[in-house]
Amino acid sequence: MGIEWGRIIELWPEIQVAFYQTLIMIGISLGVALVIGLPLGILLFITDRGLFWENRPVNSVIGFVVNIVRSIPFIILLVALIPLTQLITGTTIGPVAASVSLSVAAIPFFARIVETALRDIDKGVIEAAIAVGATPWMIIKDVLLPEAKASLIQGITLTVISLIAYSAMAGVVGGGGIGDLAIRFGYYRYDNTIMIVTVVILIVLVQLIQQAGDFTAKKLDKR
Amino acid sequence: MIQIEQLSKTYQTKHGTVKGVDDVTLEVKTGEIFGIVGYSGAGKSSLIRCINLLERPTSGIVKVGGQDLTKLRGDGLRKARLKIGMIFQHFYLISQKTVAENISFALRAAGTPSKNIGPRVDELLEMVGLSDKRNVYPAQLSGGQKQRVGIARALANEPAVLLCDEATSALDPNTTLSILRLLKDINRKLNITIVLITHEMNVVKEICDRMAVMQGGRVIEDGRVYDIFADPKTALTKEFISSVVSFNVPEEILEKCDGTIVKVLFKGEVAGDGIISDMLQSYPVKGNFLHGAIEYIQELPLGIFVMELKGGQADVSQAIHYLEQREAIVEVMEHGN
Repeated sequence: MGIEWGRIIELWPEIQVAFYQTLIMIGISLGVALVIGLPLGILLFITDRGLFWENRPVNSVIGFVVNIVRSIPFIILLVALIPLTQLITGTTIGPVAASVSLSVAAIPFFARIVETALRDIDKGVIEAAIAVGATPWMIIKDVLLPEAKASLIQGITLTVISLIAYSAMAGVVGGGGIGDLAIRFGYYRYDNTIMIVTVVILIVLVQLIQQAGDFTAKKLDKR
Repeated sequence: MIQIEQLSKTYQTKHGTVKGVDDVTLEVKTGEIFGIVGYSGAGKSSLIRCINLLERPTSGIVKVGGQDLTKLRGDGLRKARLKIGMIFQHFYLISQKTVAENISFALRAAGTPSKNIGPRVDELLEMVGLSDKRNVYPAQLSGGQKQRVGIARALANEPAVLLCDEATSALDPNTTLSILRLLKDINRKLNITIVLITHEMNVVKEICDRMAVMQGGRVIEDGRVYDIFADPKTALTKEFISSVVSFNVPEEILEKCDGTIVKVLFKGEVAGDGIISDMLQSYPVKGNFLHGAIEYIQELPLGIFVMELKGGQADVSQAIHYLEQREAIVEVMEHGN
């Protein structure tokens, strides 16, 4: 299973396109996960027992929906959401279309990460803020988010890396991306060169993201 | 300032209901420092947390400044809390915000205009002696300094009441003393009412005007700190007092004594009046000091002596009677042969 350097040059434009597609998928789904998953995670936390917005019905409903989405295997979600994808993007093919399913999977994933990160905050700090007479919004903005900042960044790192793994399956619905390239050329056509190149690209990408995440989390933590 | 009426707080646990606070009625007057003492699990923490409704009482009334807090919810309760400061054993500062940001958080909660926040933060830092730590993160501060930030935050909105939940229990003795002095100082300068809970009797002895002792969720004894030190009624209170003012004479010494052993207690000004020497001159009794000291509680002297009285039985009891006439409290620990 040698590497044919000529093959890399030959397919380089295709690799570039795939890389670009991966970035689009991850960019969109991460953006959606942050915008929707973060508030959802906060809501999951503050509506829980003994917290300042305690609301059992809301908490149970959100928790239930989150669990349902998280229990569906991604490959099934991908196919099941084709009608929704068609509705939102007007197409079912390409990285933007694949981003719909990726986003739907990423929202509950990230919401649970946010909830866990918030749970790690010392309850006393929240209590002190309540005792001071802070509004719920102030507690979220000035206590919960800053105190969980480092673990939230670690959580974003984890989400991005999971999305990279998920995005490899996007090829099934013609989403494209690096992972899709690896499957199409490396797996179906026994093209070892492309297989190795794509895997190396993914390894480097994951490493870079993990290191950037660790660095940022550490840099921002004032403890 | 604070009226607690028939307050109870029960908790549901796996093993059934537990009474955290059991029918407590207390009044804390404006400007005083009130101490609540008890071992852990006595319910003092639940009680203080009921005062600003961090815990909602199961039944009973909590009035602060005449307002019944148990009737308030949501925003009304939040506004009432602006006027009740609280500090904690573990400080509970926002670790990701600087000292100044932690204090301005409280000011913003009260809707302070932003142009007033900076100067007010400086003023508060000056008051707690941390002006040079303005832009430092809590992790870089010592325990005592963190508590000072906690105090500055609690006082930010000029509260009428300051609640201290074991505020010095995580600090070493010297730091404890400096924080207690700061609290006393604040109490005098701002005429702020302070309620503190502690398991350390020396804290109460140091700064409190009045106190209550709690056991099993109930207040078993309350009154002026001086009076309780002078004349504790319950075994638990005596135990607490003996932790700071101990007059135990070693057994071997007591065995060697054949006279009557008495514990004599002088309150207030009489402590220095030479009553003992008057007695020894007036009666044919020999006195032998075994233990003694004059404690100052709230700047009032409290003299406690353990002595052996030797002489005829009638003379000894007359001498004791004489001491009692001179307003000493005499407790006969062992009768002579």
